[in-house]
Amino acid sequence: MVTIEERLRVEEFLFKEARLADESRYSEWEALAEDDMHYWVPAEAGQDPDDGRISILNDNRTRLATRIRQLNTGVRHAQVPPSRMCRIISNVEIETIADGEYFVRSNVVLYEYRIQADKEMEVWPARVEHKLRMRDGEMKMFSKHIHLLNSEGPVRGLSFII
Amino acid sequence: MLDNSRPSEGIRFEELILDDRVHSTLYTDSEVFEAEMDSIFRNGWVFICHDSEIPKAGDFVRRNVGRDPVFAVRGRDGEISVIVNRCAHRGNIICQEERGNAKAFVCQYHGWAYDTKGGLVDVPYPAGFKGDFSCHGLERLAKVDSYQGFVFASFNPTVPSLGDHLGRATELIDRAVEMSPVGRINLSGGWVRHQLNCNWKMLPENDTDGYHVNFVHPSFAQAIRSNYDEAVLQDEESLKSEAKDWGNGHTELNFSPSYSRPLEWFGCAEDRYPSYSKALREAYGQEKGDKILLDGPPHAVIFPNLFLGEMNIVRFEPVAPGVCLHIHTPMYLEGVDDDVNQRILRQSEGALGPTAFLLADDSVIAERTQLALAGKGGWLDLSRGAEREVTDDNGVVVGHLTDETSNRGFWRHYKQVMQGPDQSSPTAAAAAA
Repeated sequence: MVTIEERLRVEEFLFKEARLADESRYSEWEALAEDDMHYWVPAEAGQDPDDGRISILNDNRTRLATRIRQLNTGVRHAQVPPSRMCRIISNVEIETIADGEYFVRSNVVLYEYRIQADKEMEVWPARVEHKLRMRDGEMKMFSKHIHLLNSEGPVRGLSFII
Repeated sequence: MLDNSRPSEGIRFEELILDDRVHSTLYTDSEVFEAEMDSIFRNGWVFICHDSEIPKAGDFVRRNVGRDPVFAVRGRDGEISVIVNRCAHRGNIICQEERGNAKAFVCQYHGWAYDTKGGLVDVPYPAGFKGDFSCHGLERLAKVDSYQGFVFASFNPTVPSLGDHLGRATELIDRAVEMSPVGRINLSGGWVRHQLNCNWKMLPENDTDGYHVNFVHPSFAQAIRSNYDEAVLQDEESLKSEAKDWGNGHTELNFSPSYSRPLEWFGCAEDRYPSYSKALREAYGQEKGDKILLDGPPHAVIFPNLFLGEMNIVRFEPVAPGVCLHIHTPMYLEGVDDDVNQRILRQSEGALGPTAFLLADDSVIAERTQLALAGKGGWLDLSRGAEREVTDDNGVVVGHLTDETSNRGFWRHYKQVMQGPDQSSPTAAAAAA
């Protein structure tokens, strides 16, 4: 059981992380990720990240840095201009992993207006699991797993920060 | 079908496909799409699966042939059948799971049961069933054949042999499996299904288009310093890679001439995987082993729906004139250490699929192209490099990396298939049946 203060800090982090992703503020979003970050979108329900099955996205910190560098080039066509996005976060449940470390479950519905291509609205519902830790008085994430409801597909282009 | 005419009868392909250009209605017209489903996906050979996906008796995977739902299943005799996924009674989906193992397939609607060959073996309340079991089996695709474990099938009982269809392109498949020291690949990594709102033909076209790389993928080159930019992001004269037309619609971008050291195509130095290099040289001999290590895997499309995407295998799936799927899996190698296959998996996730460094950009460009072709449309130019391509000793047409040799090869074959054989021939009769 976490305290009210811990809950507020975790929720504050989730909302900030969502806003930076929604607004495609790539480097500010990246600054929330720890060196041991694992950013993962499995391709199948119940998938284990180490079972040799392919993922839709499976970034360690190095590959995540490459992803952010690519988005920051300004010529990543799939995000020029960036998708206009709005994500709604709900059903936040928090467990303590260790002192100052939290496992956080939430439900997310992301609305994406695909302004750079066919100008359609795409909806991305997902169960999301974060692992967060307090470092030097600031909340950071060292894991974000996004379980898309439609992970087995078909899945449309997903070049923004999910 | 009730209508005795070929769906393509009213479409004048000879006017829509010229040597140096094609008309945009080929990407947007629903009658063209229907004709393709018939002439290409029902009448010709279509890639289904690799036999490593269903190694044991009873193993199955679901697939689509064009839009027809099918499943491939290995029988107790070891043979693979490709069966239409539709109960012979009232049409329910028979094989509901995407993959798995079954001794029999039982319809969940009225309980009709079929064996792994599609034969009807049980009907509940049999007293009311006056039919003949042997006449109520599931529909099987008339032809199933394989090459190096790649399983192809056709609805057409009189389709020319798979060998005729593959022609010289068997060499491309050989090169893929010879990346393994034991000559076997393993597609056990699962598939990612990426939807693009564009016509399916843009997939084989773009996957063997060497001209777009500098313009669609500069962000990749800028974000990653790798052999990739050396291989393709150079000025015209120094580009050594080639666009190739292997005949029968099979096309390739041959990057091998751009590599100067072993495993460059794998983005690493040779000493990164010493046991892999050693195993290849031991298996194939010093000379051929060296060549495999230097040349790397093929980057080639086998008409109409298989892409040997270097260390990935891709299936193309048409959905509607403006919707298709690009479905990929890592091409795992048998007989290598796990860390080699681990690298193949990570590269597959990086290059292909909805989030990938490469394909996410290709997909947005393809979707914009589809938008541009709306309405009355117009002509698309395919003339680049026609005057400088050459035919090599094996009959393969070879062009500069940035030339449209490969796409011209695709369209030449497409036109021939879509125009179809003479109406009186057995194949045409089968198509109309």
